Amino acid sequence: MKKLFNIIKNSVPIRNLALFLAVMGPGIITANVDNDAGGIATYSLAGANFGYSLLWSFIPITIALIIVQEMCARMAVATGKGLADLIRENYGVKVTFYLMIALFFVNLANVMAEFAGVAASLEIVGISKFFSVPIAAFLVWILVVKGSYRNVEKIFLFACVFYVAYIISGFIAKPDWHEVLKHTVTPQINWTLDYTVMLVGLVGTTIAPWMQFYLQSSIVEKGINADDYNHLRLDVVVGCIIAPLIAFFIVVTCAATMFESGISIESAKDAAIALKPLAGPYASMLFSFGLFIASIFAASILPLSTAYSVCEGMGWDAGIDKRFEEAPEFFWMYAFMIIVGAGVVLLPKFPLLSVMYFSQVGNGILLPFVLLLMLALINNKEIMGEDFVNTRSLNVITWIAVVAIIVITIVMVVFTFMYSSKVTVI
Amino acid sequence: MQLFIYFSEILGRKVADSNYNIIGKLCDLSMSPSNDVFPRADAIVIKKGFFRKKMAFIPMGDVQKFGKTIVLKIDQSEIKFESLNKGCEFSLGKVILDQQVVDINDQKVVRVNDVHLLNVDSQLYLAHVDVGLRGLVRRLGWSKFIDTLVKFFSPQSPYLTDEELISWKSTHVLAVGKVGNVLRSDVARQKLARIPTVELADIMEDLDVFEKLSLFKTFNADMQHRVFADMAPHEKEELIEQLDDKEASHLLENIPADEATDLLHDLPPEKRRLLFRHMHSKTSKELRKLLGFAQDSAGGLMTTEYLTLDQDDTVADAIQKIKDNTDFAGNIVHLYVVGEKQQLLGATSLRRFINEDPKKKIIDTVYPNNIFVRTDDGMEEIALLLEKYKFSSIPVLDEANVIQGVITSDDVMEELISLTWTKYKDQI
Repeated sequence: MKKLFNIIKNSVPIRNLALFLAVMGPGIITANVDNDAGGIATYSLAGANFGYSLLWSFIPITIALIIVQEMCARMAVATGKGLADLIRENYGVKVTFYLMIALFFVNLANVMAEFAGVAASLEIVGISKFFSVPIAAFLVWILVVKGSYRNVEKIFLFACVFYVAYIISGFIAKPDWHEVLKHTVTPQINWTLDYTVMLVGLVGTTIAPWMQFYLQSSIVEKGINADDYNHLRLDVVVGCIIAPLIAFFIVVTCAATMFESGISIESAKDAAIALKPLAGPYASMLFSFGLFIASIFAASILPLSTAYSVCEGMGWDAGIDKRFEEAPEFFWMYAFMIIVGAGVVLLPKFPLLSVMYFSQVGNGILLPFVLLLMLALINNKEIMGEDFVNTRSLNVITWIAVVAIIVITIVMVVFTFMYSSKVTVI
Repeated sequence: MQLFIYFSEILGRKVADSNYNIIGKLCDLSMSPSNDVFPRADAIVIKKGFFRKKMAFIPMGDVQKFGKTIVLKIDQSEIKFESLNKGCEFSLGKVILDQQVVDINDQKVVRVNDVHLLNVDSQLYLAHVDVGLRGLVRRLGWSKFIDTLVKFFSPQSPYLTDEELISWKSTHVLAVGKVGNVLRSDVARQKLARIPTVELADIMEDLDVFEKLSLFKTFNADMQHRVFADMAPHEKEELIEQLDDKEASHLLENIPADEATDLLHDLPPEKRRLLFRHMHSKTSKELRKLLGFAQDSAGGLMTTEYLTLDQDDTVADAIQKIKDNTDFAGNIVHLYVVGEKQQLLGATSLRRFINEDPKKKIIDTVYPNNIFVRTDDGMEEIALLLEKYKFSSIPVLDEANVIQGVITSDDVMEELISLTWTKYKDQI
């Protein structure tokens, strides 16, 4: 028995697996939170309005996501500092301050969208938003304030499992797998305005500015150091594959049902309702369950991540284990995000569409700045050290990806201004 | 002329040469890296151009007037602008401004929003760092606007008068990045040398993991060992886990072997193996052996650092041995005379031979009874023996009477204190 135990203990693959499991978390969680209420709405619309024809975009999106997220992970282990910290230390107060102001308001709009997602998903099963939203806000608050980072991480990792709901509903929808595969590997660009707007929307919703701040801070907080970098990179890559995979299944579900039947939808809630007659009650339930999990998951992480980033950049004390007097700015910001984010959803004439519109444009305007700052930082030997600085070949790939993302987000912002009704979702 | 000025106020001021031609803008101050309490600026750094930036260092001696425009004593032809950003050893803008520093009095990490400079005899000294909200607003350039606004709504507001300044004396810059590390620690070391290591260990306790690590990395090797020795056990463990394996094993090699063993005991076997890989084979062999003993047995408590003598050695040899080992981590008062196979022949102490004839054989000065414990003896027996013979240390022998290590009274004391604590805690 003991011998068997020793064999297991000394086997290299098992040891690597154990090390990976210890490091696992930040990358997978960040990528999954990315499939939030706004994301699910965008994916549903993409499937319902354009069928399988946008599926090919998930391969380049995945690659771009991996490149960007890997840079954050590398900066975190090389410097032991968050992204906001690094920006402040190298680019001064002014850049940091205006960036943080923008991040704060964009994220606030995102939080509102998440609580709206909670409300919408539970209204499908007949629960009033006046009941669901306050409870959700309270849950979010208690989870983060009463939990330690490690416990919260475990809960979040567990929540990631629920995204399987979308994969299952994808299978229930009985798509034509042959068609799905064909459209995934053959890019087709259809230069109609609607199609381009949707394509840009898919990229924009998958790569968001807050993710970079959140990923880097959570790696730092977890205390992962350079020795574990290879396992961490695996965690990031796995996360960056899982998240677009879930999105892929959402598109497939909606394409196989609504697009085939010619039903047009305007939000994720519509999609869940439309699924009922087309794919049966289970698919519909799973779909709205997924929306609920995604919304509440993102609603727990966004306020926290924002408060952390802003405090980090401005040099205020931060941390959920601090007392209120020690870190008043942090707690005020955190509370403000949750109370306002949840509160506005309950207003009778809450202009949700305008808020979504604002958050999408805001994300789009902010992202190029964040990416350019990241590129400058990761090429700085003094900060990164010889081992972690970008190599020349990696720089070429990164620049291509970053320029592509920047062009796409600029196009998205322009489109959002021009055709606001087409891009705003939910 | 103001006595104090803020760094943010002079940043970006126009610089003119002796003929009042504007030649550039002030963009940094280069501080002298001497070990004065308050570092003095030895040069101003000016830059010109936007796309092709060029910089020049101008010694403070060449500055005529520090007014709205900074006027120099020299003509612009004498100033050499260089395009390469070579930087200086102690740049105020890069090393202090916007970086994190440890406030040693309040024992917390704060970010520097501005720097308060003392301006006397046309010299600038780094006097305080500003970590307050006012500093932040000043840097953003909104000072006047916000001040007017606050004055209008609430003239008594503490915001208007509260300056959160920390004296440079009680701050310590955290290391940033890997290259910067080396430079910065030189500047900081002299200042830290004045703080007792026990206090530094206390400060470390209040920081979070990464802050702790970056503060620790600013210490030089000797200081690292001393601060580490003063840290609480769980703090040590946390630090060992955070340091990379090479640094961690180096640290473990340089602390008393019994303490290193205790730490290794609490680490996962995987980590332990990695650490051993980076150590000298001799040290790792010893530590491995110590690890094999139960933690509260003589073998677990003992250290392998002790001084031995051959049976042919004289008193003079013994005294020389002590003189050679004054910086030795273990006990140097007791010496053990051993035979060829390291078996214990007798123990002696400085007290017993210091007044003897230097030519006398050391073996003739040993204690009459051979007092020792075995590796598996319990702590109570060791404590009783130490108390009975009033020794400060006692040798540990194996079955063949070969000396394995030495237990000093403070090791036993430490163990007893923690035992007493557990009992005491149960009572309340």
